[in-house]
Amino acid sequence: MSISSDLLKHYPWLPSLQIYYSDIASKDPTEFIEEAFLKYPDGELEQRISKIFKAAFNNLEEIEDYKADDINIYLYLIVKILLYVLNNKPISNRVANTYSKQTYKELIEENDDANLYDICKDLKLKFHYLNPPIKYGINLNKDQREILKTSFKIYFTDYLKLAANLHDEYRKLVHNALSEGYIYVQKKDLIRLLQEYVRRKLIVEEVKDENNIEKFRKNILHIREFKELYGNILNNWELKKEDFEYSFKISFEEGSDISNNFPPCIQDILRRIQEGMNIVHTERLFLVFFLHALNYPIEKIIDIFSNLPDFDRKKTKYQVEFAKKKEYTPHSCSTLKSLNICKANESKDEICLEGYYSKKLDTQKKLSHPLFYIQLKQYRNSMKNKANKTKIEKEDE
Amino acid sequence: MSDNKFLKRLFQAYYQEKQKEIPAVSSLESREFGFIPWEKQIMIRHIGFESQKFLLNYLIDRGPKHVYSSGSLYNQPEAQNMESKKYQGCDLIVDIDVDHFYTPCKDEHDLWYCNNCEAKGTGMVEKCPKCEKSKITKITWICDKCLDVAKNEIKKLIYDFLIPDFGTDEKDMRIAFSGHRGYHLKVESEELRKLNSDERREIVDYLTGENIAFEVLGLGEKFQMIHGLSKENIGWSQKIMRKIEEILCKPKTEIEDLLLDKNRFNFNPNLVTSFLNSKADFLELITKGERNVWSIEGFGLIMWKNFLKGVVKHIGVELDEPVSIDIHRLIRYPGSLHGKTGFKVQEINLTELEEFTPLNETNEKLDPIVFISKNITQKLEIVEHALPITKIKGIKYGPYVQGEKIEVPHHIAVFLLCKEVAKTI
Repeated sequence: MSISSDLLKHYPWLPSLQIYYSDIASKDPTEFIEEAFLKYPDGELEQRISKIFKAAFNNLEEIEDYKADDINIYLYLIVKILLYVLNNKPISNRVANTYSKQTYKELIEENDDANLYDICKDLKLKFHYLNPPIKYGINLNKDQREILKTSFKIYFTDYLKLAANLHDEYRKLVHNALSEGYIYVQKKDLIRLLQEYVRRKLIVEEVKDENNIEKFRKNILHIREFKELYGNILNNWELKKEDFEYSFKISFEEGSDISNNFPPCIQDILRRIQEGMNIVHTERLFLVFFLHALNYPIEKIIDIFSNLPDFDRKKTKYQVEFAKKKEYTPHSCSTLKSLNICKANESKDEICLEGYYSKKLDTQKKLSHPLFYIQLKQYRNSMKNKANKTKIEKEDE
Repeated sequence: MSDNKFLKRLFQAYYQEKQKEIPAVSSLESREFGFIPWEKQIMIRHIGFESQKFLLNYLIDRGPKHVYSSGSLYNQPEAQNMESKKYQGCDLIVDIDVDHFYTPCKDEHDLWYCNNCEAKGTGMVEKCPKCEKSKITKITWICDKCLDVAKNEIKKLIYDFLIPDFGTDEKDMRIAFSGHRGYHLKVESEELRKLNSDERREIVDYLTGENIAFEVLGLGEKFQMIHGLSKENIGWSQKIMRKIEEILCKPKTEIEDLLLDKNRFNFNPNLVTSFLNSKADFLELITKGERNVWSIEGFGLIMWKNFLKGVVKHIGVELDEPVSIDIHRLIRYPGSLHGKTGFKVQEINLTELEEFTPLNETNEKLDPIVFISKNITQKLEIVEHALPITKIKGIKYGPYVQGEKIEVPHHIAVFLLCKEVAKTI
């Protein structure tokens, strides 16, 4: 299978890169980076890498000046090395999300299906290109019939591998058109699967052996340009990281920080969003309903979602506004349990597990709603503060 | 000699005599083996064999009560923990066992009695319906009817799902009667072997219809009108619509029974009447397929979802989900004997499946009842409270009660002894 070098420059994550650029693949990473900066001494390489990280830290959906040229190959490889030495899961996830979103955009803009065909072949996917496109269903809306056709069908095991981390009801096998081992997919859905492939390719698992990585880091930071790039990225991250952490810590009704009073189910969803991981549809709904119930501003809610790999500002805005208009209430604890969102057991949270003592009923009661968790925690905190205040006052006397 | 010793010797003799007929599973040397001996209720796992010859020697030497091999392939199957085994991949295994789902014949032959309040009855129960305690003894039995149900499920799996939807090649399928209350199917393909547990869960959901979100398939309410599914949409939509058409073509009385059935739709009589009144219009609407506005009096979105859930239950395969998801499961070895019945785990190919009748098989090569004897009889005493009728090879034995002394053919004696409901006298 031969793939054009133009396609590789555009999509340097393709497996053929190793074959075409075997000279690079065989090099020691330090040697490769030194040569790369020598090859592009005008600072363009550093600038373009910085723009990727800038876009990632600011949750932008596009990378400024993304070009399908020779530099793009060096850029991709250096970003991978940077992520390895940074060894920071949230950074990896954010960069992977941003870079893969850019890939989605580039692939969507491809006019020629032949390129998509070549990409799938290069990835060794078992799939068929159907010409002319084949009908696999219809959309009926009132009396309008929209025929669903596609030119792409992909073998179900490859589909499952690519879609495994996309926690989206629409991508579940049971909701797809499966026939004779192949799933009919629309072009944009196939591209979404490729986006996920790219995202996973960039995510660096946290390296447990810090000694090895430290040795490598020490060695590679001798390269001046790389050291500067690395330092700038870390500085920018420190600033942005705080921004992100603070974004939850506001109660828009009372002006005080209530995020510590969130129940473990919400904390867990927020943590995973913060790390740029995919979350399932029901979790997205629950989070939106929950934040609406606390009167969080729409823009703030959208910003929270901007960290997700499949974030689309327009769609998110519409859905968040729609939920606000409909005044949906957040799910109850029993619903959360049935949806597998409840984290009471995992977190071993005392309030969730044991409930509270009801004076009125003279009995221990289980918690039934996550909003009540906040109220209860706030009440307990206020009682604690009151007790502390009295203690201090007594000491003063 | 104790009954277990007697059975062990019988099993050893079987393995000795039939060793040439016991098949070798593919990649035998890469699979982990497990055995349950007669002496103790423990699973001896993490055993590997270089070749079938060593396996057969083991079987002849020890005559184990149960024999299993892994669906997974390992570089070192004999390693004591999963990490060291070096996992290479796992076949897709589907286990259909009537233990896990309701069949009407269980109301006749599955007995239970409560060890707490001494109540007794028939059918599938989890706890005593009288005292609500779980201290119950269950006697689960087999009959042609429940084994037919299991066979239908395996046929459904193959002809409604594996071949048309998953494109599974017949040569990759290994079908076996489990030797007791069901069937196993193993799909051996390189592509499937690569799937992890989460990905296998997706396949299980597809086969069972579990976790279908009908909204994603097109069900919804717009302007107080219910929009249904379309039979032109390949996949579950099409399956559901075809099944609805099939149901609507049945006589009214049959539909009524179906919709009222507590184990299926469990509709109240008013809704059933309403459904039957609209039957003809609904059938015409979905047959034409031009519009998808579903309108039956009393049917809101929730009722339609309940209806569709009932339809899905009809279509989906009743399988033991954890078996297909877990990549470290062991399944019964083909040709080995099932220690709870004394029947052989019998491999069958697709063409043989239709005619295969485990309890009355005429093809000697496929007959799971290996200890068949017309002339040799054995005397036994029943030790269990009560036993239902056992019908094997077309002849009925029982019912029996505790303390009853009986004389039965050798294969029936082996069956009752393996079931641990009788003792030799």
